[in-house]
Amino acid sequence: MIPAFSPFLALRYLLRRPIMLIGVFGVTFAVWSLLVVDGIFTGFVTEIRADVRRSTPDVLVTDLPHDTSYERLRAVIAADPAVRATAPRLRHQGILQPRPAPRGSSSPTIGTNAVNFEDMTMDSGFALLLGVDPLREPEVTPLGEWLDRSVEVLHAHSITRARRSEVLEDPDPDRRSFLLTADHVEWDMRRIFDLPRPERVEDHRSEWPGMIAGWRRLTSLKLIEQGYPIDLMTASFDVAGDGSAQVNTRRIPMAFGGYFATSHRMFDQSMVLVPIETLRTLLGHDIEDDEAIDIVTDVAVAMQPGLSAGELSAAKSRIRTAVASEIGDECAVIDWREQNSVFLRAIAQEHSMMQFVLFVVMIVAAFVIYATLHMMVVQKWKDIGILAAIGGTRRGIGAVFVFCGLVVGSVGATIGSVLGWLSVHYLNDINDWFHRTTGASLFPRHLFDLPVIPVHLELSWVIQVALGAVLLALLVALLPARKAARMEPVAALSYE
Amino acid sequence: MTSPVLTARCVHKSYRLGKTEIPVLRGVDLEVQSGEIVALLGASGAGKSTLLHVLGLLDPPSEGEILYDGRSVHGLSIRERARLRHDHTGFVFQFYHLIPELTALQNVLLAGMMTDSVLRYWSRRQEAKKAATALLERVGLGDRLKHRPAELSGGERQRVAIARALLAEPRVILADEPTGNLDSNTAEGVIELMFELQRERDAAFVLVTHDEGLAVRANRIIRLRDGVVVG
Repeated sequence: MIPAFSPFLALRYLLRRPIMLIGVFGVTFAVWSLLVVDGIFTGFVTEIRADVRRSTPDVLVTDLPHDTSYERLRAVIAADPAVRATAPRLRHQGILQPRPAPRGSSSPTIGTNAVNFEDMTMDSGFALLLGVDPLREPEVTPLGEWLDRSVEVLHAHSITRARRSEVLEDPDPDRRSFLLTADHVEWDMRRIFDLPRPERVEDHRSEWPGMIAGWRRLTSLKLIEQGYPIDLMTASFDVAGDGSAQVNTRRIPMAFGGYFATSHRMFDQSMVLVPIETLRTLLGHDIEDDEAIDIVTDVAVAMQPGLSAGELSAAKSRIRTAVASEIGDECAVIDWREQNSVFLRAIAQEHSMMQFVLFVVMIVAAFVIYATLHMMVVQKWKDIGILAAIGGTRRGIGAVFVFCGLVVGSVGATIGSVLGWLSVHYLNDINDWFHRTTGASLFPRHLFDLPVIPVHLELSWVIQVALGAVLLALLVALLPARKAARMEPVAALSYE
Repeated sequence: MTSPVLTARCVHKSYRLGKTEIPVLRGVDLEVQSGEIVALLGASGAGKSTLLHVLGLLDPPSEGEILYDGRSVHGLSIRERARLRHDHTGFVFQFYHLIPELTALQNVLLAGMMTDSVLRYWSRRQEAKKAATALLERVGLGDRLKHRPAELSGGERQRVAIARALLAEPRVILADEPTGNLDSNTAEGVIELMFELQRERDAAFVLVTHDEGLAVRANRIIRLRDGVVVG
């Protein structure tokens, strides 16, 4: 039984001793910072994971031997009941170079010096080329969403001339598979660059395969007009007659077909989507050659929706076995997490470190409570003797200080939780106000191409943090309470 | 014949200072009857306050035993001793020992909260408040209920302490130099009040003092010298 004097006296001590407000402030700050920082970080992590997920197919069959044919694999992969669709992929490196605008013509490129791209360093023309089949790729990745998102992102960067790529909207599948721009668009570009073209636009048929670049290449390409001519060059090694390495370079004129944006920074920065047939041709596999095969480096796979982790794992295993049997060699079958494991692990580790730092803040707050309560016990030495003299039990005397810790922890946790919840709820408004007032931004959301600061705060987490803070306050209050309870009454009464 | 309310049998008390054992009480025998006023008289260092603390169960004797109403308190748990201290004795100290954060009324009320749980006290809080107010009015502080100790004079503080000691209606009041910190006029008023209350309630009174003038007003004087009863 806790005697009535314990909470009674604890409340009077707290109300009459402003120093205890330091403890309340400490807990409030710790809870508030934990909720706000973790709310933002969890929001970022959730958003970044969604971005990574958006840029990655469900499963990727990769590490395939050189010259693997897609058609051979497609049949065995698609035979698995867990597979919904497949699409071929061919990865290679290349250099992009937009053609310089002819003298005297109004340049169709844009100046980017007015835009804050200080964090972009893609000035070289090097790019990772991802050869995709534009007819199959939308079945395994949300290509349409990528194109929509690029417009949002570019508009957010004040590039209002940006339009959604139209190369996937051509009703003719043959033209769409080469990402061709509209005939009049290419004809118009040929006119500007004074390149061969028929007299009349009606007589022209587009020939330049299109490419869709990650929007972060905007600074190096400086392109916004779809159809703009770009030269793509690739190189491969060959063995010369004397046995030495020989570099074969190939070059092809292409048309800029617009930007995509997944918001996965690395992907948007490095990748350029090109028609897989064009890339095969560049690599020496002539489409007209009967002996040429439809080579792939990877096969992107869309799985049936709603698969459990166990079902997905089993399906991956089956696909690996089937593909290995077909190609007579080992391969890797990895899901979207495994494809980005290093990145996701790094984020998870940052999250853990952040939580640890915030936990340390909580410990500091607990130490503040301990210090103030310990100081109170020393200052209240004589009161402890008085309480013992008028019949207070040791437990009751200790409970006075436990109640103090409990009240400090509870009040701090409640205020911190409410403030934390409100701060997270109105974070974007606060950030906008701060930006308007000071010109500075509390959270650089443009780093992650986010229209708003993503926040994610669950009520259960708020309750956990608040209860944790109260429990911690209670634990640290036990030490001074124990000291008070063990004090000899006579020693306490004679304390000066 | 009824048992004495308070008995000390061959009480020894010594303190250790480093490796040295310092005897303070050396075989004190004492009996206090109900309604009796006993003055413990002695010079500074004679062991008066130590004996009072031992009698009030604030400090255990090194040897000997204490009996309340003829029953030995030896072997009682810390909790039982606290309960007994609350029910059986009331303390009045030289330096009042009020809790500075509480008003006069709250200081007195506090003594009534020692043995009740929160719920039990809540259910009888009005009754407790009435009793504490009546006691403060009885000691002449009816208009000082909401004053804190810092806002009261020395005499007023001691009156609050007396009211606090009486709230649980103890059998014995243990007063350690209750007027030692007061001027003579105030001291006289406080002593008069204590004796009046003692008569009203028929409580035993053990008064520690080194003031011969005050001691002679007691029913009995016990003289202590170097921890031994000398008369």
